[in-house]
Parts: sequence; C-alpha cells; structure tokens
Amino acid sequence: MQVRSLNPEVDGSPVSVADRPLQVRGRSFTAVVLKLNGAADAGFYGALESLMRQAPHFFVNAPLVIDLAEAPGLTEKADFVKLVRDMRARRLSVIGVQNGTADQDIAAFGAGLVCLQGGRDAQVPRGGQPSKAEDAAEETRGPKARAPEPAQPEPEAASATIVVTEPVRSGQRIFADRGDLIVMAPVSSGAELIAHGNIHVYGPLRGRALAGVNGDKTARIFVQSLEAELVAIAGLYQTSDDLDPSVRRGRVQAFLRDDTLCFEPLK
Amino acid sequence: MAKIIVVTSGKGGVGKTTSTAAIGAGLAMRGKKTVVIDFDVGLRNLDMIMGCERRVVFDFINVIQGDAKLKQALITDRRLENLAVLPTSQTRDKDALTQEGVGKVLDELRKDFDYIICDSPAGIERGAHLAMYYADEAVVVTNPEVSSVRDSDRVLGLLASKTRRAEKGDGGVPAHLLLSRYDPARVARGEMMKMEDILEILSIPLLGIIPESPAVLKASNLGTPVTFDTKSNAGRAYEDAVSRLIGEQVEMKMQALEKPGLFSRLLRRTA
Ligand SMILES: Nc1ncnc2c1ncn2[C@@H]1O[C@H](COP(=O)(O)OP(=O)(O)OP(=O)(O)O)[C@@H](O)[C@H]1O
Ligand SMILES: [Mg+2]
Repeated sequence: MQVRSLNPEVDGSPVSVADRPLQVRGRSFTAVVLKLNGAADAGFYGALESLMRQAPHFFVNAPLVIDLAEAPGLTEKADFVKLVRDMRARRLSVIGVQNGTADQDIAAFGAGLVCLQGGRDAQVPRGGQPSKAEDAAEETRGPKARAPEPAQPEPEAASATIVVTEPVRSGQRIFADRGDLIVMAPVSSGAELIAHGNIHVYGPLRGRALAGVNGDKTARIFVQSLEAELVAIAGLYQTSDDLDPSVRRGRVQAFLRDDTLCFEPLK
Repeated sequence: MAKIIVVTSGKGGVGKTTSTAAIGAGLAMRGKKTVVIDFDVGLRNLDMIMGCERRVVFDFINVIQGDAKLKQALITDRRLENLAVLPTSQTRDKDALTQEGVGKVLDELRKDFDYIICDSPAGIERGAHLAMYYADEAVVVTNPEVSSVRDSDRVLGLLASKTRRAEKGDGGVPAHLLLSRYDPARVARGEMMKMEDILEILSIPLLGIIPESPAVLKASNLGTPVTFDTKSNAGRAYEDAVSRLIGEQVEMKMQALEKPGLFSRLLRRTA
C-alpha cells in the first residue's frame, strides 16, 4: 500500500519554507500490510518467519502496517506494545494499523502506532489476472496535491504490493499497478511481470520482467535465477541475447546506474 | 463421485487422443465405469482409435442440440462393458459446443460413470476451453521438446484461471504431467529435452513417461487402445500412469530403458 504523509504541497511545488525552522513535504512510501488472522500467536510468527526466509529482501527496512480486520482479539494497548516488540525482535518495524475498530485504534494509538484510514486489501491474484491496470496507471502517475484531511478516504492509498505464490505461466501477465511485485514461484518463458515498483522473483525468471514502468529509475529487479527473455527498468531493457553470461542463471539484482542497466550477483 | 479428467496439451499431435483412449481403457480394465468423450469436433479421431467408428449413429453435438438422447449416442466398448465412447461430429465445427450444453451432458454422465475422460482438441480456443472448463483434474500431455513444453505451460495457466474450479476460487484444476513420445536415446544425444528440465519448468507432478513406441501406431491401426497391448512398453507405461491416477504408488520406471535390447544398443552406439 502507499502511505502518504499529510501534504501541503500544491502541484508538486513546496510552500516557501526558507526561513522556517521546519519544512513539511509530502512523500510517498511503500509499506507492507500484514493481515493478522486471529491472534499474534506462534502460528502467526511461524508463518511470518517462513515468509521472511523465502523473501528476505522484501522486508528489509519496509514499514509494516497491521491489518486488524480479522483480528478482533487485539483490543488492549498492551497487546499492541507486545506486537510491536515481538516484530522489532524480528527486525520488522510496525508503523501503524488499519481496519481496526474504534477501540482497537485507541489502543494502537496508545502504543505509538498510526491509525491509517482508507486502505484497501492488496490484490493477490492466484491465476495471474492483470487487475485494473489502466485506471491505476492513471492514478499513480505523478504527485498530486492532497488535502490535509486524515479522515478522508484515500483511494490512491490502496495496497500496492502483489504477492504471487503460484507459478506464472507462459501467456500470463501480472501487473503490480501500485508498487512491488513479489513472485515466490517460477516465471515461465512467455510470461510477463510488470510493476511500477520493484520486482522480486524467488524462483527462476524465464519470462520478461519490467520494473519501474512508470519511469521510476530507482526500481530494481531481484531474481533467484536469471534466465529472463527480457529485463527492463524504467523502459531501459536488455534481452536475453544481451545478457552477460556471467550473470546468467545466477542470483542477481538489476538496477539502473547512469541510465545503464546493470546486473550484479547477490551474495 | 464421478471424476472429470481432461487430457490436454495446447500443441497438436503430442498424443492426447492416444492417451485418452489408453487411460480410459486402463481405468475400465480396473473395473472403473469410464466414458471417453471426443471434444475435437470436426476431426473425430477418438472413435477410430477406440475401434468403434463404424458404430457411430448419434454424437456429442446431437446430444447437446437435443437431437438425440445421451443413451443413444454412447457406444459401449465391445471388449470392456464398463468402457463407453461419446464420439463427436465430423461435419460440425467447435461453435456447436456450448458451455451450458457441455455442462448438462457431463452432469448426466456423472450419474452413471466413475471417470469421464475428455479428449481435448489442440490449441487454446473454444473446443480446448470447453474440454477443460468442467474438469476436476487434468492430464497435460507433453513431448520432450521446447515448443510442446511451452504450450503445456500456457495450458497450465489456463487451467489455473479459465476453468470452473478457478472461477469458484478452488485454485484451478490440479494437473498431472504425462510425458509422451519420450525417446531416451534422442534425449541422451541432446536432441530432446531431459525429463528433469521439463519437470523443473512445468513444476507439476509426473503421472508417467510414455516411451516413443511402434506399438502405438500398431494399436491405433487396429483400433485398440495401446493399454490392451500389455506386452508393449507403451502399454505398460500407460498402465502405470493409470495406477497413479487412481492414487496407487507405483515406482517411476523408464519403460524403454527396461528393455536392454534395442535402447541400450542405441545408447551404446551413440556413446
Ligand atoms: N508414444 C508414442 N509413440 C509413437 N507414436 C505415438 C506415441 N503417441 C502418439 N503417437 C503418434 O502420434 C500421432 C499423434 O497422436 P494423437 O492423435 O494421439 O495426438 P493428439 O495430441 O490427439 O493430436 P491432435 O492434437 O491432432 O488431436 C499419432 O500418429 C500417434 O500414433
Ligand atoms: Mg487428438
């Protein structure tokens, strides 16, 4: 999901702040939403840890938001204090909650968490259907002025990360229209991954991967085994013919440096 | 509870019809009430391989269009009483198949049969779509070559997204891989893909490996499913696949390699 701070910026140009002690600017960050089903018990932490093992890069420095829609049991401030502490012990930083009841929001606030409004569930397609890609592409295109009105629902603040656990087959196309795309299965040749943000593939990437399609030159692609037909970041691409044999089939990250697509092995 | 199994591949000529007939016969030999249905409207191959083409009066399309009763169109096998064939029309095309009509026929068949095996046409268009739409399981027939593997992969994506099970949110149709026309000598020479590589790409469980075998052509000329030819390596490989399909644990043998004669000679010669 996108977390946006309150934004006094209009048309992307900050208010003149030269002689003020502080400067307020709007900025978008991508956060990971974890949906808690029931209690934050051993089962939850077990599942979380196995996910972290499978997708270690994904959680590094990622702000976490806990979705409380299915966790009515967490009602006390102490519950949230413990949750934050237990997550910190796993080097995970919880910044807030969403979809809680009024009581849960108060308790979470007491534990120092932000209550985020208007978040929607992330789309996690199983069959790899592209989802509302076109409208979303419009929505996410550039900075927009936002009224400093926290109670107002923010449609753009919907979840961004798409996690795919099934193999992505030839002919399928998955579009993460608001952020990162994580695939925890093989991506076949003839399949296509497209993301406005980063792409992570925890399996062989044999198809195409296009990250930062909105022009984000900081987007990266991480793959377990680079066998791709095409890799592109912000429109700069290489096909499999151009790929340096030294990175082929390796654990690799791709990124842009001075508008050149670079590949580097992951340790 | 009847099980609907689609035999599909994307690519043409990989052995779907051969496999439908062989699996259908294998299931019937084990006492399962089985019907095989030809979805390849306009071509009509299944009844030939089943050896009943001269007994066809009404067909699948007649039943869908209400011109005949299902009982009139079903042909019971002369060798196995619990094996039946629902042939298709040679004069119509695939537009004659409707989703609703197919669903009705399958529902009716479910009452009388344990297994309903659907022989899909090649491709991914209407006929292939309707053959897989209602399936409970899929057998994906793949030859050890790049284009066949690619097409199988495409079909696996469709099984996971364009079927009734997928629409209901049941996670699509579970698929088994049937590796067919596998020629160990050619694989060894690097002319064909290795089984391991195919499994790695498709990542679905392996139902069986059917060797390239002259017994298949012989059987189809005689109009008998190759499973009846229990002496042939292909027949035995299909038997093993059928065992796995009904849940028995059978060790995966490379049937062709078992025979020391021809194949090892070939292998040695090329080594
Ligand atoms: N294991 C095998 N060994 C040798 N020949 C085989 C084998 N399996 C199939 N064949 C041959 O390959 C040809 C195509 O087989 P079949 O008709 O079963 O394929 P299909 O997938 O149903 O084709 P279509 O896509 O046209 O429906 C036939 O001539 C058949 O005899
Ligand atoms: Mg056929």
